[in-house]
Amino acid sequence: MKLVKGMGVGLLSALMATTALAEIKVGFIGSLSSDTGLSTLRGAEMAIEELNAQGGVMGEKITLVTADTGEDVTEGVKAYEYLAETEEVDFIISGSIDDVSLGWLPRMQEFQIPTLDTWTSYIGIIDMVIEDPDTMAPYFMNIASDEALATLYINFGADVLKAKMGWDSVVVLAEDTAFGGAITGLVTDALAPVAGIEVKDVITYDVNTVDFGPIFSKAQASGADFIYQVSSVNSQVMSSQYVKLQVPMAMTGVNVSALGMEYWEDTGGAGGGISTLSPVPSVGFELDPVSAKFVEDYQAKYTSRPSIPHFNGFNAYHGLKQAMAAAAEAGGFKDVKAWNAAMLKQDLKLEKDGKLWLRYGFWQHGEVEPVTGRTYPQNARFDLSAPYDDAQPSMVVIQWKEDGTVGVVYPFEYANTEFELPSWIKK
Amino acid sequence: MIQILIQGLLLSGLYALIAVGFTLIFSVGRILNLAYGAYLMLGGYMYFWISQSMGMPKLFGVVMALALGVALGILKYQLIVKTLRGDHVAVEISTLILAVVLQAGVVLVFGDSSKILLPIIPGVVYIAGVPVTYNILAATLASWVILGGLYLFIKNTHTGRAMQAVSMDTKGAAISGIVPDHINMITWAISGGLGALGGVFFASYTQLAPSMWVAPLIISVAVVIVGGIGSIIGTLIVAHIVGFMEVSVVSLLSPELRGVFTMLLIILVLVMRPQGLFGREEL
Amino acid sequence: MGLRWYHFAAWGAFILGLMALPELVSKGTLRTIIFANYLAIFAISWDLLSGRTGYISFGHPFLIGIGAYTSAILTKRFGFDVELAIPIAVVVTMLGGLVVLLPALRIKGSYFALVTLAFMELMYQLVQVIRPDLTGGTRGMSGIQTLTRGAVNGFYLSSVLMVIVAIAAWLLMRTRLGTALTAVGLNESAVEGSGLSTTKLKMVAFLASAFVAGLGGAFYVHYLGSIAPRALFDINFVFTIIVAVLIGGASTIIGPIIGAFFLTFLLEYLRPWLPGAERYFIYGGIALLLYMYQPKGIYYMLQSGWARLKGSTS
Repeated sequence: MKLVKGMGVGLLSALMATTALAEIKVGFIGSLSSDTGLSTLRGAEMAIEELNAQGGVMGEKITLVTADTGEDVTEGVKAYEYLAETEEVDFIISGSIDDVSLGWLPRMQEFQIPTLDTWTSYIGIIDMVIEDPDTMAPYFMNIASDEALATLYINFGADVLKAKMGWDSVVVLAEDTAFGGAITGLVTDALAPVAGIEVKDVITYDVNTVDFGPIFSKAQASGADFIYQVSSVNSQVMSSQYVKLQVPMAMTGVNVSALGMEYWEDTGGAGGGISTLSPVPSVGFELDPVSAKFVEDYQAKYTSRPSIPHFNGFNAYHGLKQAMAAAAEAGGFKDVKAWNAAMLKQDLKLEKDGKLWLRYGFWQHGEVEPVTGRTYPQNARFDLSAPYDDAQPSMVVIQWKEDGTVGVVYPFEYANTEFELPSWIKK
Repeated sequence: MIQILIQGLLLSGLYALIAVGFTLIFSVGRILNLAYGAYLMLGGYMYFWISQSMGMPKLFGVVMALALGVALGILKYQLIVKTLRGDHVAVEISTLILAVVLQAGVVLVFGDSSKILLPIIPGVVYIAGVPVTYNILAATLASWVILGGLYLFIKNTHTGRAMQAVSMDTKGAAISGIVPDHINMITWAISGGLGALGGVFFASYTQLAPSMWVAPLIISVAVVIVGGIGSIIGTLIVAHIVGFMEVSVVSLLSPELRGVFTMLLIILVLVMRPQGLFGREEL
Repeated sequence: MGLRWYHFAAWGAFILGLMALPELVSKGTLRTIIFANYLAIFAISWDLLSGRTGYISFGHPFLIGIGAYTSAILTKRFGFDVELAIPIAVVVTMLGGLVVLLPALRIKGSYFALVTLAFMELMYQLVQVIRPDLTGGTRGMSGIQTLTRGAVNGFYLSSVLMVIVAIAAWLLMRTRLGTALTAVGLNESAVEGSGLSTTKLKMVAFLASAFVAGLGGAFYVHYLGSIAPRALFDINFVFTIIVAVLIGGASTIIGPIIGAFFLTFLLEYLRPWLPGAERYFIYGGIALLLYMYQPKGIYYMLQSGWARLKGSTS
């Protein structure tokens, strides 16, 4: 009898313990089959593991559930609803791409669940934060917005393309998407006056173009010194044909597919000479000790691709820890206003060799960025002017060499290699 | 001008290679094989896997891709077409579902990132000042050879003539001793093989991605609509019309209107001559 | 029309059941039901045209998209009231579709299917190229006005819409017009021979289908709050609609509804077991097997099962 009673009490207390053991639920939304999605997911997983090993947050353990979007906009909406209403998560970390984020954004505004977007960089969403801070309070974007990326690129134009390479005219080859149009606008408006580079022509191409031969011919006919590429969709098609056709014009710009280490493997080695701007930390970027440790732990834990997390993996890792810290300060995720205030104050400065190397922090409301003259509330902090001692630059320019290595060519404070022309261009 | 001529010729060769397998099924079996693009996709991925991932010789990769295409064509015929016994709509729908399933399967095995194939023949040559990769040259030559061979096959061999007969009148063909079932199976096998081969060239020109079965399908659709049912020659000619039109639009007008013009061409042909330019079939 | 008491009873029970649902199921399930409702509306729209007359349309999202984009642009860019924007969207859908697809109705069978596919692709291209400042281009638009907040309200709105559409379509099919349309699907030349104008009949089917598609599309976009060309003019969307109808049972009203619910729930319920891409693979595989096993659909399976039961007990 005593044994049974003892067992009964033991069972009962175990039951009560498990029900009393509340947990913080984090939801991941993104594609489980893409390098981008996996980078964010794994960054989040690692952050959660470390936090749990230290006792969790506010005495509670953190659990992670995933909702796959397959990078489909409608699935994205369903995934967000699933996380919110079926799983009832406290916080959402997103590795979604731009149009998927735009898809579930109305849901976030409705459910008011604190959400961190690690890859989407559309400046229009930050505009929404400015216009409607109350409903957008739960939203944080910890990658520099695409407009900031393009702005710093102008400096690259002036400092490297004009000053070092001696080029003074460009032809823009942009995809006919919203992204293409936005970046093109920024480049054409600012490249000439600031960098002194003349835009000879803007050629817009259809994203499903099979044959870039005629387009490259047109670019050559413009007589410009180099090509500025703007591709986010199917960008490897254009760049690989550039290499295969050995187009006798230098090309740089924005090539989203070249942002990960797998680029070389994916292109079968036909990626040499391609340069692109990339958010930070990019491939070929020298890391500070904390980030380097993150990569080491990552590679010990994960054996499938991506072999090194893309920049959004770092964003997810640091960002999730910051979100938890903000929650601890605000007493949880429920009070969105309090969490928002605490999150805005989060500021992680990482140093390398005594210099400020990376900074994970957020712009405050009303805080104006000196170069562009506008505000970026709830957007990741960045610095647009040398010597980049306030935060990291919004982007770096990387270049893949023909032997498969990759390095940073600009800004000079972060550069570890030089910008070169591909070997087939005799200039 | 020379440039448009050369680039148009090359692109048309690629398009012809892509479209011919699709028109074959449509002409002989009157069936829309919506999973046709999947042959291209799987052929491309098989070549990638063998030649790039495993590093085996390229020719072996091409042969394996071809074999996969043929096998897939036969399988599809046996499992889907014969099971649904002539219910054309049901077959079309089934092929659509199959295409989506195959795409999901590819994502599962290869992930969804785009991959670039190494060119089958690397290098670039300048023809009249226009840069031409050996790869697309090979594709165009291959398409001419294959189409020529196919044409001779259909006109001169017993099987080929049987295929023509089945395409014109299945019952009549059966009466004269042809076994439509065999002919159909052969047609599907050829179509699959051609598709896979086209896929290898298409992928080596553009890229490999799980969603890549849609674009070639649209191209094939365009060729079928504009050309109509019937001749291999018709397919070749129409592929050139579409190819040249695209290159002209891109070079002379604006590259972003490329897709729009192809669609408009389809609509124009439909309004003015619904059976297609070379169709011998009344609708 | 031959309405009998059991028709009223069946519809009544169905409606009552729907109204009671929020009490019985979780919010997450309600959300899934909302998507299923909209898919059912699109499926019914497709069935009115393609299921009945046999003219398979592979570009139906083309119509849905016109409705969705029209309402979205009117409310977001021009500040129209939703009450005005939605009816306008429906009319525009019917007009747009008429102008464009009517000549295509001269063409039979597989060509029609190809043409509709081509039109959908055309819309996809156009929407990105023409006036991206209005349409939002490739990225689409976010922050479109939503009509309801929350799962329960969304559920009620979509369910009411779906039921109204279903009943209206059902009534239409019970008129002589409806019978004639079904006849066209079975044997068009016979209908022509009997003196009816098949062109006029097809036009009616088409307009009805466009009406429902435009209505569904407009309400759908106001439920989602966002719109993107990739979400609408996509061959996967075509696939989902057609499979929903065919698996459920074409040429009926209940069929598309059954199919829509079955597919939506299948995909959603696989989520906890198969979180990633395997989900779509299994889902597609099940759809294929089911369809090949019984191309007539679940409704037919239920009917014949019921008949066998009745037969065996008598």
